[in-house]
Amino acid sequence: MPTSASTYGLIATFETAPALYHAAEAVRDAGYRNWDCITPFPVHGLDKAMGLRRSIVPRISLAGGITGFITGMSMIWWTGAVDYQLVVGGKPLFSPMFAFPVSYELTILFTAFATIIGMFVVNGLPMHYHPVLKYDHIRRGMDDTFFIVIEARDPRFNLANTRALLEKVGGKAIAELEA
Amino acid sequence: MPAASSSPSQLAGKALTIGLVGLAVTAAGLLVPHNARAVALSYLVGITYWTAIAIGMLMLILIHHIFDASWSTVIRRQFEHGISAFKWLGLLFLPLVLASFLYQRDLIWPWLDLGHEMHGGHTVGHDPLYLKKSAFLNPGMFIGMTAGFFLIWMGLAARLRKASFTQDADGDVAWTFRNRVTAAAGLPLGALSLTFAAIYWVKSLEYHWFSTMYGVWFFANCVRGALSIGVIIMVWLWHRGDYKGILNNNHFHSIGMLMLAFTVFWAYVTFSQYFLIWNANVPEETFWYNLREINHDGGPNQWKWIGIIGILFGHFFIPFFFLLSYRYKITKHIIRRIAIWILAVILLDMCYNIMPALKDSHGNAQPLLSLNLVWILSSVVGVGGVCVWSYLRSFPTAKLIPIRDPRIGESLTHHE
Repeated sequence: MPTSASTYGLIATFETAPALYHAAEAVRDAGYRNWDCITPFPVHGLDKAMGLRRSIVPRISLAGGITGFITGMSMIWWTGAVDYQLVVGGKPLFSPMFAFPVSYELTILFTAFATIIGMFVVNGLPMHYHPVLKYDHIRRGMDDTFFIVIEARDPRFNLANTRALLEKVGGKAIAELEA
Repeated sequence: MPAASSSPSQLAGKALTIGLVGLAVTAAGLLVPHNARAVALSYLVGITYWTAIAIGMLMLILIHHIFDASWSTVIRRQFEHGISAFKWLGLLFLPLVLASFLYQRDLIWPWLDLGHEMHGGHTVGHDPLYLKKSAFLNPGMFIGMTAGFFLIWMGLAARLRKASFTQDADGDVAWTFRNRVTAAAGLPLGALSLTFAAIYWVKSLEYHWFSTMYGVWFFANCVRGALSIGVIIMVWLWHRGDYKGILNNNHFHSIGMLMLAFTVFWAYVTFSQYFLIWNANVPEETFWYNLREINHDGGPNQWKWIGIIGILFGHFFIPFFFLLSYRYKITKHIIRRIAIWILAVILLDMCYNIMPALKDSHGNAQPLLSLNLVWILSSVVGVGGVCVWSYLRSFPTAKLIPIRDPRIGESLTHHE
């Protein structure tokens, strides 16, 4: 249900990690997709309570690794066997043997690049501004308080119903966030 | 609750019976005429294979203690049972020594017999390449070093087992500190002994050849074997019910990551050895690989295909790609299948390193797919049965996990 364009979403406060954990399970089961938890420290098992799947970064890493390996092999094949043919040490113009160390290093290098870049992209980094920063008490989220934020762009979002859900699961000081 | 037929003591009896049958079949191979060397080398494969796995278990325990590791605490106890096998492995190694000295000096290691006639007509005693190495490769050193290896492994195993088992009863944290000291001294001792064992038992079969990577190659196989057996034990004890509520996905993920890491490590080492020899292309080194690729007429032999399909793809690519997946690492029947696969290819790797020492009258390596395969498999089953019996016999003598280890709480709640 669309709301006014200026609403980013709803924020609810929780005092303890178990309260947040169970609230997250309820929000997950209600079918919400665009929402997040804000905690002062990592809460083990919260990813499961939120229904998050494993990160796709490993797949990006694998793609980077394969790219690096192919780059290394084809670069050495192109330079040595096609573009500037030169017999070195009585070896064939191209062999995967001597191309392997370089390809292997490029595999590692490209895997590292893909992992770092993939992690930034998946996390939406760099992010210089986020609407929750306008919320007065958000700094307590770095100290002793837990929050759940449900975004207005979620298809299930409805100002009244979502507020009722957050109240039902024990959320305190529920407030609307400006976009 | 486990059925009575699967209790460790009953399984131990079965394992010992299977082991003794395997050893008997191997011994029966001696009845085949002119077969003694083939049987002896096959038996060396069996002994080296299981000794490697036991060494891997020992090294993993030592590494666990030196790093004060936490997650592996619940699994460590199984390795502590496994390393009880060293005394039996030492006993089983004895026939190789006795056969070499009482039956035929050059039965296995040609350099034990100075009169051994080599390709080309001259003897080992007149071989300059032997004379340069004779301070190292001689009967006294061979017996002394081999006895020393087993004494080191048995001594370390006894110390680690005593400290860990006693801690179950008295809960004294001093045992943990004592194990850390054992680990600090034991790791260099273990590294040197396993390296020299690989050199004396396996590499010296072709004593002209040399490779500085050999000990590292052997170590990589040791640890991969131990991790794989560890996974099989974990899944077995999980299905039996013992490990329910103790192991979680993260334990399987962690040991799976170690399996992946050591797969890459093994490949790095094995490729480096091949690549440096290929690149330098000096006959003193290349003959070892030539023996494993071509016959004297230049045609390929069986070992070439074993090298490409079994070693390159089977030992590296297949486990590597399967172990990349998180889901495969935590799905018990899949990770167990990968573990069994790795154990099989380690055996193939041992065969690849040992069996081509067996040559026909033209100096070509005898093929693997022959009657020799029977003695190899019977030796592996024979020595393996004794090792499994030793593990299962030790199993009921201590708690399932080190319940009073200072890290046990952390290990039980192991998370990513």
